[in-house]
Amino acid sequence: MRLAPIEVTLLEAAPAGEPEPIAAIAARTDAPAVTLRGAAHRLADEGLCTVTTETTTTLALTDEGRRYLDEGLPEHRLATAAAALSAPSVPEAAAAAELADAELQIALANAARKQLASIDGGVVTADDPDPDADPEVAALAAVADGDADAVDAAVRDRLLERSLVTADEATELHVALTDAGVTALMEGVEATDAVGQLTPELLQSGRWADVAFAPYNVTADPPARPTGRQHVLRATAERVKDVLIGMGFAEMTGPHADADFWINDCLFMPQDHPARTHWDRFALDLPPAETVPAALLERVAAAHTGGVGTDGEGYHTPFDPDVTRAMALRGHTTSLSMRYLSGAAVGPIEPPARYFSVEKVYRNDTLDATHLLEFFQIEGWVLADALSVRDLMGTFERFYAAFGITDVRFKPHYNPYTEPSFELFGRHPVTDELIEIGNSGLFRPEVLEPLGVEGDVMAWGLALERLAMLTSGTEDIRDLHGTLADLAVLRSAEVPY
Amino acid sequence: MPVIDVDLDELRGLVGTDADDATLIADLFELGLEHEGRTDAGTEQFEFGPDRLDRLSVEGVARSLRQHYDIAPGLSVPHAASPEYALVAEDVPADRPHISGLIVRGLALTDAVLTSVIQLQEKLHATMGRRRAKGAIGIHDLTMLKPITDRIPDRKALIYRGVDPAETTFVPLGADRAMTPAEVCAELPTGRRYGDLVDVDAAVPGIVDDLGLFSFPPVINGSRTELATDTHAVLVELTGTDQWTIDRMATILGYALVARGGDLEAVEVVTPEATLRRPTLDVETKRVAHADIERTLGVELSPETVRALCGRAGLDATVDDGTYAVSVPPYRVDVLHPVDVIDDIGRAYGFTALEPRVPDVATIGGRHPRSRLRRALRERLVGMGVEDMLTFHLSSPAVTQTQMRLDAADAEVLGAQQPVRITSPYSEEYPIVRQWLLPSLVQVLANNTHRRYPQVLGEVGHVLWADDGAPDGVAEADHIAVVVAAPTASFEDAKAVCASLTAGFDVALATPAVTHPSFIEGRAAALEVEGTTVGVLGELHPQIITDAGIEVPVAAFECAVSAFETDDSG
Repeated sequence: MRLAPIEVTLLEAAPAGEPEPIAAIAARTDAPAVTLRGAAHRLADEGLCTVTTETTTTLALTDEGRRYLDEGLPEHRLATAAAALSAPSVPEAAAAAELADAELQIALANAARKQLASIDGGVVTADDPDPDADPEVAALAAVADGDADAVDAAVRDRLLERSLVTADEATELHVALTDAGVTALMEGVEATDAVGQLTPELLQSGRWADVAFAPYNVTADPPARPTGRQHVLRATAERVKDVLIGMGFAEMTGPHADADFWINDCLFMPQDHPARTHWDRFALDLPPAETVPAALLERVAAAHTGGVGTDGEGYHTPFDPDVTRAMALRGHTTSLSMRYLSGAAVGPIEPPARYFSVEKVYRNDTLDATHLLEFFQIEGWVLADALSVRDLMGTFERFYAAFGITDVRFKPHYNPYTEPSFELFGRHPVTDELIEIGNSGLFRPEVLEPLGVEGDVMAWGLALERLAMLTSGTEDIRDLHGTLADLAVLRSAEVPY
Repeated sequence: MPVIDVDLDELRGLVGTDADDATLIADLFELGLEHEGRTDAGTEQFEFGPDRLDRLSVEGVARSLRQHYDIAPGLSVPHAASPEYALVAEDVPADRPHISGLIVRGLALTDAVLTSVIQLQEKLHATMGRRRAKGAIGIHDLTMLKPITDRIPDRKALIYRGVDPAETTFVPLGADRAMTPAEVCAELPTGRRYGDLVDVDAAVPGIVDDLGLFSFPPVINGSRTELATDTHAVLVELTGTDQWTIDRMATILGYALVARGGDLEAVEVVTPEATLRRPTLDVETKRVAHADIERTLGVELSPETVRALCGRAGLDATVDDGTYAVSVPPYRVDVLHPVDVIDDIGRAYGFTALEPRVPDVATIGGRHPRSRLRRALRERLVGMGVEDMLTFHLSSPAVTQTQMRLDAADAEVLGAQQPVRITSPYSEEYPIVRQWLLPSLVQVLANNTHRRYPQVLGEVGHVLWADDGAPDGVAEADHIAVVVAAPTASFEDAKAVCASLTAGFDVALATPAVTHPSFIEGRAAALEVEGTTVGVLGELHPQIITDAGIEVPVAAFECAVSAFETDDSG
């Protein structure tokens, strides 16, 4: 039988009985373990040896575990101290045991769990404490001695939960010859002068015609190759942009830090609206904005206090120019829409026009699995001489269809700046639940008239992360956006197209 | 969004229909009330928008459905009997000057009605009342009051005034002894919650009758006038900072109590300036053009249909030459402009009955040039094996300065600009907006030391900083940054990425040596385009690396995206 030299080395060194770890064979043969592993797989494919994977777990004490081994577990210290006093209070027992803060909490929790002590009406009663009888203490000592096998699995898990030990797993291949392998050895194996890498020298010299090429295990996994890739949420944003551009929308851009004039007042949001307090809004430590256009401000203030049109009414809230100049991080990108519609961004815009943005907004909300302090808002609007709610429904239905969300419902809704307004609902692609997927409406005259817009404007928006979580099935928004991301998650995310 | 609990059987009874649960829920969805689910008590929860506060109770929802189902379409305004009582405002607290009220007699207050009324009161407080600051409601058993008869001729007077918070006493609701308002604010839970709406050092709002204080708005009522199931006549008093707001809250409550069989009786509100009659039951008129209705809804409608739809929305409409005069009932707080009437008509018609269409206007779409540049830069980075990152804009000086070995003395280097600060940050971790990108990338490296190397991370992202010379005091820019973290990472790795970028975008970059605290001395270069510094490049200082728990060297660069703009990038 002819085999590659490394395969011959392994065949000759591997045991015929009990499988041996590759590391041991490598030590005996001076061959690198990584090449022996490859050889082992190839020999196994030929049926000449068996290859099994063994996982060994080594336990080690953490600093906290070592400390408890030396000083005693906190719950034992507490119980022992309490037993020595007569009916102590919790603070008294804690002081006697020299326990405080986090360690005291640990002591109390575990003392209760192990029934070492009971607390009734603030008095600690410890029965006869016997630390040596606690299997956790023995386990800590065993780990310290390097005798992890002696530790019972349930006790080990307890110690892992308490962060008193860490477990390191190592996997290794174990190899043993099969009967066919032994037979092949006895019949004689020959190392061929088989070539591995085809080199430029072999090609240029012509020697390639005289050598045999060692067969490779072509089914084996290749080494992982580091790769660059676009961030999965960016890819979703680019897809959204492509869809909107394909529907005739042009992109807007504008400041992240802006005057409340553009963020809220142009939008006919009453100045005492709950969303304008610090509970929702990131006010900035900056002097009042100086670039608010004076004439437009006057018209917006007039709309707030007196409404627009002959039958219009304003809000029953005074309009404060200091509030309007206050600088904040925008809570929605409708500030951009106002800048564009007012003519301040790219000059006057005549109907028809379609504009969009997919940009960052900031809300003083909360940071958890479904909320961030900053996220991307998709915003789109259409200006035309005449628009109806049917146009709104049709346009935005088309958008969702591109993402596989059909059967979109429009529920009448309320926004201070649009009327009529609709919340959009669609079917979750996985759970089939009806969920909210956007907000929309026709801008009110109180918004459009001060801006000098002639025509109707319909607008719509939703959070990009919401769309991304729906279409990708991700459950934790922090995986999709932000500094807390896990590279492993980003690296394995499916490419959205 | 507020939610209300509705017992569908009770709703059916009040409406006068035998529609099943599914039909009711679907019809309420059409009106704009979203079904949230069933509570443990067996009632249904509905979420609704804050424009229709008249629907904050089952009575209000029933009224809407009675209109919608054509059982009782059109405008209805209850009759209010002439006033017997007067609410006299004198020496009122300056921070809570307004009062309103009404009386309802002939009530049968079952547990269900009491629950519903209290829920309505709470929801009004939470919405229009801005958590009682703008308006607060007190409801009292009228028969427990002893009005003052010698104050206003022919009227039974109750006085609203500022009272002494330390001297006046009353037995508050739920307490068993007399207390002063100051004690209430210090000791009772309701007092602690709403105490900062009043001035316990000077005078607090109080309503008194001949027996003394019976209401301490917005905090708590006295127990003397507590409602019970045998109460048949109530006084509703409202105080607040805006007259219009409390008047509307009063009207909504009045309608709800009338729906439960009560008879409305007006009260006089007597102030030094005027004597007003409350509740306000004025009907407003909005003029709506037929053409506007058809344009907004996108359907053709006959005038008869429009008038019928107005009726189903609880409005009355007469038409004259293409314009409707629409009468709006006084419980509506949301009708500011004729478009609000058009929305009502649409809801009555049923928006789901409308066929979606796409507007027949053509526009050309496209990305903004700066957006195209950012995407091109990212594509180039990805092509070089860089993993594209998307990190938070919000950060802290600990991350953007201290972590990077910068302090106040380093005024001139990249990263040392004054940050934009948030006035009331969410937490200590996010009080500023980042001025540069590298600190965020270092954080990602620090969070991923257990992940496979090499980690070649990059970001094209937004930064902000405070700048007196910039419009509105803020400068904003896009930056590009790359970190190369690997066992053999070196200066050349960062420079190679940078060089490939500048070659691809035809930018002439100079890299003179520079000192920057974040980089190893002698291994840092400024990035310069036409003599202007646009960035920095180098090997990250080992102190930064080890403090972050990273165990491999890191090479990095950061640069303004504007350096890659060409004049003809169109």
